[in-house]
Amino acid sequence: MPTQSKKAAHAPARQGGDGPMSQTTLAVIGVGRIGRMHTENLVRAIPDAYVKTVASRTQVDPAWADSLGIPVRSTDVDKVLRDPEIEAVVITAPSGLHVELIEKAAAAGKHIYCEKPVAFEPERIERAQAAVAAAGVKLQVGFNRRFDPSLVALWEKVRAGGVGDVHQVRVTNRDPKAPPVEFVKRSGGLFFDFAIHDFDTVRFLSGSEIVELFAVGAVLVDPEIGKAGDIDTAVITARLANGALAVIDCSRQTNYGYDQRFEVFGSKGSIIVDNLTPTTVVASSTGGVVADKPFENFVGRYRDAFIAELSDFVRCVRDDVPVRVGAPDALAAVHAAVAAKASHEEKRPVGLADAFQLVGEGTSR
Amino acid sequence: MKTITAGVLGTGRIGKIHANNLLRMDGVRLKRVADPFVDFKEWPPPPVVVSRTPDDVLNDPEIEAVLVCSPTPTHADFTEQAARAGKHVFCEKPIALDPDRVRQTLKVVERACVKLQVGFNRRFDPTFARVHQAVVNGEVGDVHLVRITARDPAAPPLEYVKASGGMFVDMTIHDFDMVRFLSGSEIEEVHAYGAVLVDPEIGKTGDVDTALTTMRLSSGALAVIENSRQAVFGYDQRIEVFGSKGGIEAHNETPAQTVLRTDAGIRSENPLYFFLERYQRSFMIELEAFFSSIREDKAPPAEGNDGLAALLVGLAAKQSLRENRPVRVEELASSAPKKTR
Repeated sequence: MPTQSKKAAHAPARQGGDGPMSQTTLAVIGVGRIGRMHTENLVRAIPDAYVKTVASRTQVDPAWADSLGIPVRSTDVDKVLRDPEIEAVVITAPSGLHVELIEKAAAAGKHIYCEKPVAFEPERIERAQAAVAAAGVKLQVGFNRRFDPSLVALWEKVRAGGVGDVHQVRVTNRDPKAPPVEFVKRSGGLFFDFAIHDFDTVRFLSGSEIVELFAVGAVLVDPEIGKAGDIDTAVITARLANGALAVIDCSRQTNYGYDQRFEVFGSKGSIIVDNLTPTTVVASSTGGVVADKPFENFVGRYRDAFIAELSDFVRCVRDDVPVRVGAPDALAAVHAAVAAKASHEEKRPVGLADAFQLVGEGTSR
Repeated sequence: MKTITAGVLGTGRIGKIHANNLLRMDGVRLKRVADPFVDFKEWPPPPVVVSRTPDDVLNDPEIEAVLVCSPTPTHADFTEQAARAGKHVFCEKPIALDPDRVRQTLKVVERACVKLQVGFNRRFDPTFARVHQAVVNGEVGDVHLVRITARDPAAPPLEYVKASGGMFVDMTIHDFDMVRFLSGSEIEEVHAYGAVLVDPEIGKTGDVDTALTTMRLSSGALAVIENSRQAVFGYDQRIEVFGSKGGIEAHNETPAQTVLRTDAGIRSENPLYFFLERYQRSFMIELEAFFSSIREDKAPPAEGNDGLAALLVGLAAKQSLRENRPVRVEELASSAPKKTR
């Protein structure tokens, strides 16, 4: 870790790195749970990043900002975007504001990292895409799994022919505890808020596109989720453009931690990514052999991925190279979610081309 | 323990395994085996009587139980003949590929008041039996999802594929039975995606070699099965039951349990090569269960109706693939005259 420079107490300490010349200056917009996590990662773990500003609609906790050496705290996003020193923004505001903020930031010439989902509606993602294209700025989307060391290793092995031709991709995605019903109501639903990562993971690991899918869902965890119009358990199978098949199984609640498992199976064999655990302790007794449960949530499981994705974003901005995951990926994942919702509701396989159609007809959210 | 006299029809690969298990089993006397294609020069050991015709087994009044291990097209006939002769029957799966034929056989068996057990050996595998026990004990709570990975090490000969009824009926049928067995619930609706990725010749016969099958169960739970005709690393047989309290998973079994650590990496062993190795113990246990059900006059743990139910799901999966839509199993059940029970 680089050392902190010593400055007077009233002037915030310069964050890590060799100095302003080598660092990319950022603003974080939205400091809820995820926003704070990204901010802390940028300050503590990414020496190339300098977080000058944190912005929020409500007052930012000054003690927290002080502890990170962030000099500017603002409730005025427009003012933040007028700051010529800010090169890039990290958008972690509530999902409903993402597109508007992307448009504003792009117009101000800032590069953008935006948490998923960019939007639930494909046409709004296209709007954001058009805005960043017109402004010539980068837009990276928060599909953090693409930067997870285990999944990157899996993907690299697949790309190097380690499993031969891909025949099946399997994703198991289960949350430790069902979220509050209030969250479910504004989340966009299981396919948009939860399985969206899995659609992207299938595309990432297979190197192919989802052509058609079939989704079955059920309310098995919490009847309240059902009353809110959502489901809490689902199995999605899909046909991919390269001829392979994919399967995703989702649950909102395991009771044993965050269950994240992946497999790519092909003509030469199979590669599996198993759950990671906080420790590797195994305790054997007359009661059995007991190992750690998986990490309790995404913060622990994908800690390295969250750091790596922002580190890579900062690198792409600095070196002016394309980001690894952008608006087209967000769009493809949302199209899959639209298709999955339609498939579940109409009890039929739905082609992704049909999903475009559904969006046009306004029959989906 | 009362000794039961048994005969075996068909001593090909599986028939010979069953016969050898009977020779080792307490309380069972293997009296006769019959097979028109085997010369019996080196096997079986005396005093087992060999013959080329099934009638010698079926007409022997001393024989109380018959194991039908002949080719599939003969299963229904032999089962009926044995039942009519008052013999209990253990029949390898499937009884027949036509559900109406199966129903007819089940009626004959019912009228004869004999036991019929179907060869769903996986139910008796100690590992899967433990998964089942965990579900029954409530260790995973209410079942939400049953997930099965079943991949063969190598594709079967094309001649077999042509006569087998297709992957869903000859291979996935075991997995459909496991879904029913482990969930304690009926499969109501099936959707299948299939592809030809292993061998284009399999595609030319009209079959698939890779499939993902999704199911809705009568309890409300979901199930999914992943199949491939070829996992080059060995017989890939994994099961997970996930529920309201957690999940239980059965991993692949290996010939030995070693981990080799070198600068090339950490290497553990490939799965047991195929079903004869992986399910070796289950073949003995399923027959022990069959003879116990005769001795104690109770229902066998895998009955004729289980065979019929799995067959109907297999046919529904075939139809789903053909028509690319979810198919309700009752669509097939109602097309025929009547349910057996």
